[in-house]
Amino acid sequence: MTINPGFVAQLVCSFIREEFSKFGFQKAVLGLSGGLDSTVCAFLAARALGPKNVLGLIMPYGEMSGEDVRDARAVVRRLGIRSRVVDIAPMVDAYFSRFPTKSRLLRGNKMARERMSILYDFSAREGALILGTSNKTELLIGYGTIHGDLACGINPMGDLYKTQVCELAAHLGVPARIREKTPTAGLWPGQTDEGDIGMTYGEMDGVLFELVDQRKAPDEVIKSGFPAKSVKKIVSLIKNSEFKRKMPPIVKLSTRTVGLDFLYPYDRGR
Amino acid sequence: MAPCLGDVRSNLESHLRIIETARKKGAELVVFPELSLTGYTLMDLVPEVAIDPSKSPVMNQLRSASRGVDVVFGFMMETSKGIFHNAAAYLSGGQIVHLHKKVFLPTGGMFEEAKFFARGRDFAPFDTRFGRAGMMICRDFLSLASSYLLFAGGSEIIIVISAAPGRGMSAEPGFATSRMWELMGEAVSYFCTSFVLYCNRVGFEDGKAFAGGSFAFSPSGKSLFKAPESGETLAFIDLDLSEIRRARERWTFKRDDLPDLIYHSLGRIVRDYDD
Repeated sequence: MTINPGFVAQLVCSFIREEFSKFGFQKAVLGLSGGLDSTVCAFLAARALGPKNVLGLIMPYGEMSGEDVRDARAVVRRLGIRSRVVDIAPMVDAYFSRFPTKSRLLRGNKMARERMSILYDFSAREGALILGTSNKTELLIGYGTIHGDLACGINPMGDLYKTQVCELAAHLGVPARIREKTPTAGLWPGQTDEGDIGMTYGEMDGVLFELVDQRKAPDEVIKSGFPAKSVKKIVSLIKNSEFKRKMPPIVKLSTRTVGLDFLYPYDRGR
Repeated sequence: MAPCLGDVRSNLESHLRIIETARKKGAELVVFPELSLTGYTLMDLVPEVAIDPSKSPVMNQLRSASRGVDVVFGFMMETSKGIFHNAAAYLSGGQIVHLHKKVFLPTGGMFEEAKFFARGRDFAPFDTRFGRAGMMICRDFLSLASSYLLFAGGSEIIIVISAAPGRGMSAEPGFATSRMWELMGEAVSYFCTSFVLYCNRVGFEDGKAFAGGSFAFSPSGKSLFKAPESGETLAFIDLDLSEIRRARERWTFKRDDLPDLIYHSLGRIVRDYDD
């Protein structure tokens, strides 16, 4: 579980630089929430590509997240990257005025997809590749909106657990204020990741590391000291979120089918 | 080096450029990494990038380049129609001296070589102008028997070409797997009282970071060179070939080897298999 943050930062920056160079991009765009993951990603992108090649889109819903906007702006100033603030309230409200709902989850998912839509639009306008900010914890338990915050061009953060992102953040010099914030998906006021999932990131990452990286069976993880309830919950979250980590299945009809036996590397010809 | 995935033409140009640079600087042998001519994560690109070494114009160009300096490189070899091998070539004086087809094809986890490649069936040493040599490709080296077979066959210079991705993190810088390769290289140089030259590629393919760290050990376990884990490097290493004799005088592993006993014992072990 321990990482060497200097090595990780250097490797991730090399990955960003090489992918951008292979695909002919100089500029990156990413959503800046004022939270830890997108801040760390912005720090890495600024280091890899130069701050002027990084565009941070701050996309609050109305006045809901004033404090987060201030934190995101502070990151922009600190790194010297470019930024735009795009309020998503007019678009989201227009939709829900036609299809009203009280479901916070429906509203939250819509907001995440609105942000994705804006990121892809700016990506095309700017000729910039989108950096994903979903970490390994979120990817494994499915704590993200499919075609929302999970959508990106490349993801430099996806093999780092949340607690490892925290370690990396300290190494990169991310302000303590952001490192110490309570993690939230920001889908509704007062939402917290740990409240949603019902355990701390420390516990989650500990269980995930044993299940996934060390390939232990759930019983073995429980024996090593984690609460049975937490282990079972995580196993179930992993199992039920496979659809968020895969391309959708295609019915096999022909002799050669996309995704099944039409198999080419992503970096083909690069 | 970091080959361009699936682009033989541009990789050939890199090879010719590097060979020429090395030759001008006085190198006598240039070693490229595994699948240096094609890149590693080929999948369905295999038939598009495979070459028949007896007919290929690409091979002819590399053979010509080997007139001034011996060359080891990796490529996708079509041995007969539709049969593809992950292969290594040793070229010298404009000729193909030896071709090795990868025997151990990693298949599992992120590796799927046996899904796309046919298996090689031999570890055959061969003579070079520097002495008797043997080649392995990446995972071949992680089998204890491969090094032994080259040793028993008289190899004095073991050349390993590799496309090993880095995996596993700790508080130390570098990947956990890099330490394993170097440790095994050092051990094999002792076991075989042979030079061990390990050339691993760098760069990324589909998120995988190839962990570089190429190294060379003398026949008595002395580290002669260690490359960084990232970034392309053209390194020049002096091999004192007289060290082979000195090492084998000091450590008499070759003199004391019992290949006939091993052959006999292996025969019994294989006969006793249940399945």
